[in-house]
Amino acid sequence: MATRKKVLLKVIILGDSGVGKTSLMNQYVNKKFSNQYKATIGADFLTKEVIVDDRIVTLQIWDTAGQERFQSLGVAFYRGADCCVLVFDVTAPNTFKSLDSWRDEFLIQASPREPTDFPFVLLGNKVDLEPRAISTKRAQQWCLSKNNIPYFETSAKEALNVEQAFQSIARNALTQQSQSVDLYNEFPDQIKLTNTTNRNSNGDSCAC
Amino acid sequence: MEDNQEEVLEIFTQDGVLITTAPATYIHYLNNVGTLLIVEYPNSNLTRCIEWKPLDLTIDSDVQDQEWTVVSTVERRRTYSGSLPVDVNRSKHLKINMNDIKSFRVSHKNQKLTFRDGKGDNVCSFIFQHGNCDGLIAVLKGILKTIVSRRDKHVYCILDDIKNPERQQLDKSFAELNLFQEQSSAYVWKFVKNFPNRPYEATMEAFSKITDIVYRGPEHRLMDSEVHNILHRSLEAIENNTTTHSHDEYELIAHVPRLPALKEYPRGRPLSFEQWKALQDSEGQVEDVEAVKLVIFRGGISSNVRKEVWKYLLDYYRWKCSHAEQQNLIKQRNEEYFIMKLQWRSMTKIQEDNFTDYRERKSLIEKDVNRTDRTLDYFAGDNNPNLQVLYDILMTYAMYNFDLGYVQGMSDLLSPILYLMNNEVEAFWCFVGFMNKVSSNFDMDQAGMKEQLQHLHTLTAFYDPEFANYLYKHDSANMFFCFRWLLVWFKRELSQQDVMRLWEVLWTDLPCQNFHLLICVAILDTEKNILMENNYGFTEILKHINDLSGNIDISTVISKAEGMYNQIVDAEHLTDAVRLIIGLPILGNTSIVDSKEASPDISDLTTNGDTDEVSYENALTHSFL
Repeated sequence: MATRKKVLLKVIILGDSGVGKTSLMNQYVNKKFSNQYKATIGADFLTKEVIVDDRIVTLQIWDTAGQERFQSLGVAFYRGADCCVLVFDVTAPNTFKSLDSWRDEFLIQASPREPTDFPFVLLGNKVDLEPRAISTKRAQQWCLSKNNIPYFETSAKEALNVEQAFQSIARNALTQQSQSVDLYNEFPDQIKLTNTTNRNSNGDSCAC
Repeated sequence: MEDNQEEVLEIFTQDGVLITTAPATYIHYLNNVGTLLIVEYPNSNLTRCIEWKPLDLTIDSDVQDQEWTVVSTVERRRTYSGSLPVDVNRSKHLKINMNDIKSFRVSHKNQKLTFRDGKGDNVCSFIFQHGNCDGLIAVLKGILKTIVSRRDKHVYCILDDIKNPERQQLDKSFAELNLFQEQSSAYVWKFVKNFPNRPYEATMEAFSKITDIVYRGPEHRLMDSEVHNILHRSLEAIENNTTTHSHDEYELIAHVPRLPALKEYPRGRPLSFEQWKALQDSEGQVEDVEAVKLVIFRGGISSNVRKEVWKYLLDYYRWKCSHAEQQNLIKQRNEEYFIMKLQWRSMTKIQEDNFTDYRERKSLIEKDVNRTDRTLDYFAGDNNPNLQVLYDILMTYAMYNFDLGYVQGMSDLLSPILYLMNNEVEAFWCFVGFMNKVSSNFDMDQAGMKEQLQHLHTLTAFYDPEFANYLYKHDSANMFFCFRWLLVWFKRELSQQDVMRLWEVLWTDLPCQNFHLLICVAILDTEKNILMENNYGFTEILKHINDLSGNIDISTVISKAEGMYNQIVDAEHLTDAVRLIIGLPILGNTSIVDSKEASPDISDLTTNGDTDEVSYENALTHSFL
């Protein structure tokens, strides 16, 4: 427990065009808001060091284009993700309706080892705007139906709940990564090749 | 020998191999030491298997096992050519069909090798007690198409072999050359297999076939004179350009084709008002269009005449029209525009409510107009009327081209045009002209973008194989980091003035089609040392390329790209794949693998629900390499 490696957590932000993905990322990393962010083309990311449960981790937050037809390129960016953040605009019902397809598409393209346990976090953004189209209850119900996804209502403009949301994202991503490390860590660091009789004890003896 | 006797071709054997993981059927073999073999059954559709036999099988064996023992000791030297009848004890061997193996992982200082299936589960693991598994890996790399995993550099993913376009191409080209009397495929693959272990002998053997033809001449063997010439030329090139690396036991001779030296092509002066007027006759017709384009390609257009010349470059005005005809055309285009604009403007609330597609397009345009170049004075501030014009043009374009509609990136392409024209109708028709050149960038299935990324890779690989190889080894051969450059023609990387300078050069289609790809190659060439020295991977490369925005000197880049174009065109080894991209006629006499043909539909990337690492690598590699 004492010596831990530096942890890099990859987080992907997805959601319809104009829900505020770039704004949320910039508010969280740079503490800035601008309504002049251009539509994202391709993909970009920002990094931020955070402390989660006394551990220093680097969050690598990926921002992608929101228009559906650019999705087929996602596969290059989604791989190795530790957490997926789904964003919708609480004033735009269509952006809420798209959540299912964003989630499904992510699972298909990123193909995590345990799709049912892969951590998602849902953000309902633009709560500073009126009129509200998607109630908190409705969003929570959706989250409940998807294996209890954590839900946060945010405003990138007013910096409302953004910090808290990303803390939760980081924690979820960390859990995912430590689980997958266990999964991948099937080869112990040392092995004595001369001692062939006790091979069974190192745990990788049989695939059946 | 009986006719139905199954033949076995041993590709590799190594003894002193401990088995630590095995399928359930062979569980009794666990923790035993034995011999590992890679064998091929030529009679059963070239099935290859990994086999392992325990040591004690030879000890309590009958005569046939004696044969085994003899063969085993000898074939360490003559491994690849051995073809022998099936040993009856073979049935007792652990045997795993190579087709079931999708990846393998090397660990413990190359002494342990684990084969995995498509689900990523371990099928069998071996520990090499004598030496290591390097020899086996070299053989596997020779007979299978493998790439190193992105996630774990110790894992080699095996790419699907079904179509195996390389092999087909190889067969085809050798068949055309008709060099080998024996079946060419078998010969070539024998060479490939032999090469890792006996590079000197294998190469000499292969070359002897060629020299046989070239030096003994046609009296010994009939040959097409064209093939004869190609071979002579190649041999000359090899003599001029060979590099020799000394190794302990052998010399590796590699042929490195070189490009001619990069020459300087200084930028010229922009097309001036006086020049422009001098190139038009009294009726306003432009006689020598190519001369105008050449001046623009060399130096761009002066700002006082840019607005007018752009209308020609973007097919709003016709080069060969008199003033009167031009006026007539303008009138027509004007009417046409307002008809289309009225179509969406007169849409009722109910119509809109019943037209989801339209509502979605409208909402997307609204969102993007509000975030297009708002830092420029022309579009700055609340309630800026120019935003409304931007919106109206994009909405009308969606009516003009229903199939395409509105796609993100279009507002970026329109912005400089509207800024320059400062006129709704003119800007619309010029935008139409630009879109006609780049509409495939916005395909629903992104086929146009994917093709360009692929072309960019082909050009990079031709211009700088070392850099292309670096990108390949660093998971970046898909060239995704250039996506933004290509989608909006560097709009996000350059200032408004610079992007206008670049676009007008690109619109001339000089010196070749797809010159924008050479612009990419030129910028990448400038950046490659940073990327390679820092050992950047996919993520870092993407970040570095994205961060170039605002730091590109476009004049330098254009002149460098022109220099590179001339290097490529003058290259003696110019391939048809490259000729195709830059619009030169195909010669059809070079054996290139056009990776496009080998690409399965891109749906492989998206529809395969249970994609594991291997199939992902396959899809990506096939689609973008």
